[in-house]
Amino acid sequence: MARIDARGSRLQGAGAGFALTAAGLILLVAPARAQQPDSLSPSALKRLSLEQLMDVEVISVSRRPEKLSSTASAIQVITGEDIRRAGASSIPEALRLATNLQVAQVNASQWAVSARGFNNVLANKLLVLIDGRTIYTPLYSGVFWDVQDPPLESIDRIEVVSGPGGALWGANAVNGVINIITKSARETQGLYAEGGGGTELQGFGEVRYGARIPSGPAVRVYGMGFGRSSTALTTGGDAQDSWSLGEGGFRMDWDASAADGVTLQADYYDGRPDPDGGSSIIARGGNAIGRWARKLSEGAGLQVQAYFDRTWRDFRNGFTEGLSTYDVDAQHRFPLGRRQEVVWGLSARLMDHKTENLPLFAFEPAHRTLHRYSAFVQDEIELIPERLSLTLGSKFEHNDYTGFEVQPSVRLAWSPLDRHTVWAAVSRAVKTPSRLDRDFVLSLAPGIPIIDQSDLQSEEVLATELGWRAQLEAKLTASISTFYNDYDNIRTAEPGPPPFGIPITFGNGVRGHTYGAELAAVYQATGRWRLRGGYTFLKKDLSLKPGSNDANGATAESDDPEHQFLVQSMTDLPGRVQVDAVLRLVDELPDPRVPGYGELDVRLAWKPIERLELSVAGQNLLHDEHAEFIPSSPSPRRIERAVYGKVTWR
Amino acid sequence: MRDLLLHVVMWVAVSTTPSSSFAQGTATPEYQLKAVFLFNFAQFVDWPSSTFPAPDSPLAICILGQDPFGAYLDETVRGEAINGRPLAVRRYQRPEEATGCQILFISRKETDHLPEALDSLEGHSILTVSDADRFTSLGGMIRFVTEHNRIRLHINLGAAKAANLTISSKLLRPAQIVSKGGD
Repeated sequence: MARIDARGSRLQGAGAGFALTAAGLILLVAPARAQQPDSLSPSALKRLSLEQLMDVEVISVSRRPEKLSSTASAIQVITGEDIRRAGASSIPEALRLATNLQVAQVNASQWAVSARGFNNVLANKLLVLIDGRTIYTPLYSGVFWDVQDPPLESIDRIEVVSGPGGALWGANAVNGVINIITKSARETQGLYAEGGGGTELQGFGEVRYGARIPSGPAVRVYGMGFGRSSTALTTGGDAQDSWSLGEGGFRMDWDASAADGVTLQADYYDGRPDPDGGSSIIARGGNAIGRWARKLSEGAGLQVQAYFDRTWRDFRNGFTEGLSTYDVDAQHRFPLGRRQEVVWGLSARLMDHKTENLPLFAFEPAHRTLHRYSAFVQDEIELIPERLSLTLGSKFEHNDYTGFEVQPSVRLAWSPLDRHTVWAAVSRAVKTPSRLDRDFVLSLAPGIPIIDQSDLQSEEVLATELGWRAQLEAKLTASISTFYNDYDNIRTAEPGPPPFGIPITFGNGVRGHTYGAELAAVYQATGRWRLRGGYTFLKKDLSLKPGSNDANGATAESDDPEHQFLVQSMTDLPGRVQVDAVLRLVDELPDPRVPGYGELDVRLAWKPIERLELSVAGQNLLHDEHAEFIPSSPSPRRIERAVYGKVTWR
Repeated sequence: MRDLLLHVVMWVAVSTTPSSSFAQGTATPEYQLKAVFLFNFAQFVDWPSSTFPAPDSPLAICILGQDPFGAYLDETVRGEAINGRPLAVRRYQRPEEATGCQILFISRKETDHLPEALDSLEGHSILTVSDADRFTSLGGMIRFVTEHNRIRLHINLGAAKAANLTISSKLLRPAQIVSKGGD
């Protein structure tokens, strides 16, 4: 029994496809305040008319002057511009630009993405949201990245918070929160079209059109699709794991009155990922979301959001899996006295999950409806105006597997100098069990389970963080975040009774700690040259608790680099030419071992006329092929050098 | 991974070296926008020529109290001139010191002292601007109002006229006209 895949091999191979639920609190809460600086240059803004200036969206929704540098958490922001100029062609490729994430491509359609370690194809400690809609699946508490492809051109920014976000967002924000935020329909007016192709990203195209009724709603509709070719087998040869996807949708934004804003969005997609090679999965889904925000008075607001999300996956071997999520969420913020700002909210979510089981591969029961109810409250107290603030908050959540969970946090932000903030935080967060953790049965023969249902409890973390964030001058922002995370009850695969050691059940047999540091900086070297990048150090010390006989020896849940480094350069040359590059260096992964590597992406773009852009991007240029992650299943793959060309009309 | 570590050390050394303008900072996008609005106001408002000591005296954009713009406002007006007048940015802590300004932005932090500040500016041709609540109802001239994450302008035309300022229709058109006592 060399290496038990405690995760359901076919499922993992099948990797990816749901979108769902959540707490949509982003619009009004903390991380949304930390907008990327430098995005608005004086010369660019001065060219705008007064009317156009009034149409520029300012993200700082907290109605007080909020210093960028004062956010008391480890947040990094990737702007739409950063994504475009990196030549990124998918969400995970864009996420690489946040150096507080571990991102590794596994095969053509699968990715391992985590924060502060525990990275895996089935990484389960991140909360990921697109426009307030949670997209991790209750199937395994991870994200099917192969169906998460909102058009990159419509993305306003991605906020990546490493460290627990449980106090605001609730379960699964154990090691981090990713907020993918798309542009308002007001900002995507007129025609946008792109198309192109290359060696790996073989063909792609998107058409988007935005229109607006004067002083009424603004709308955009889009359709897009792509096809990607296969990665390489480690033994040589083609892995036949090509991936294609088509998607369409719309978004409407409407200022119904001076105080009311309404947003409606919907998307539908149909994808054919093929992680195993030679037998593509059918992955379809759609979602619709409505959000109403009302400004009650200066500093006070109410937001109500509801969404429906449907995902469905046919593994083409008799096993199918479908999920319908219904989520309602409301939150209210208001000032309390002169020095306090309170945000509180309630949410309810129903997840209707159904599988068509195979005789030897099953979720029992095949149909389960999961409910999640939660409340949160947060109070930000200004202890010394402009200098010292204390934020107390907690989420109270009820789930069907473990009952009530409390996830509190305390944050202190101290600004000894203007634009310098030292912050500290202590938070507790939990990862509640998924369907895979509790309900999965894998059998050798009918009635002889190898993996059986278990009574897995929540995994817990107590995180202590200390950070510094500063705007050293108009051109340079920098931050350092350090953390010490104390984990308990991490999932293990416990062998059954002798002589055969089956059935294996999941237990909470690992505890230990991780610590590390994340450095990040953005530097506008000149008006035409911008640099951003970061370095992350991560150390783990995990061990089995007494009584645990984890079949994987406490190692199966993660495979993380100790060091990683990235620098992105964006240069505007005369003659409307852009030369951009991203260099990333990733330390070796210990077990299974993947050698460390350095890779380089380069993008060249030229605008012969204002509305037309021609560009060519090279990805992973330093090696013919390289491995980034070795999963327990499917077979390991190598990622090949790629080049694609693109024509953009806007 | 020795190479990697070397890169990292170099990068950290380069990226965290403080520069000369250490004390200066940047504004949030909200205040970057507001800085550019202030620059626009300079173009769309006419001051009586008597307000300037000389034909080439600078047009002064001033900030009273806490400065949310950092270096951004300075960058915005650098090298710009309006009707032959260069633009200058000045910062004051007390309203009495600001009487030589053409545009005066009053920080929201000064909300408590607004009535006194506006009183002491009376009789001067100064375009008063703020994002404080009730600014225009207290007699201020232009208030930045954030609605749906966008910046709207409320203009108290009566107050501007009383200070002998002429506001161009280009500025009035996209703004909401309010009166003292209203908001």
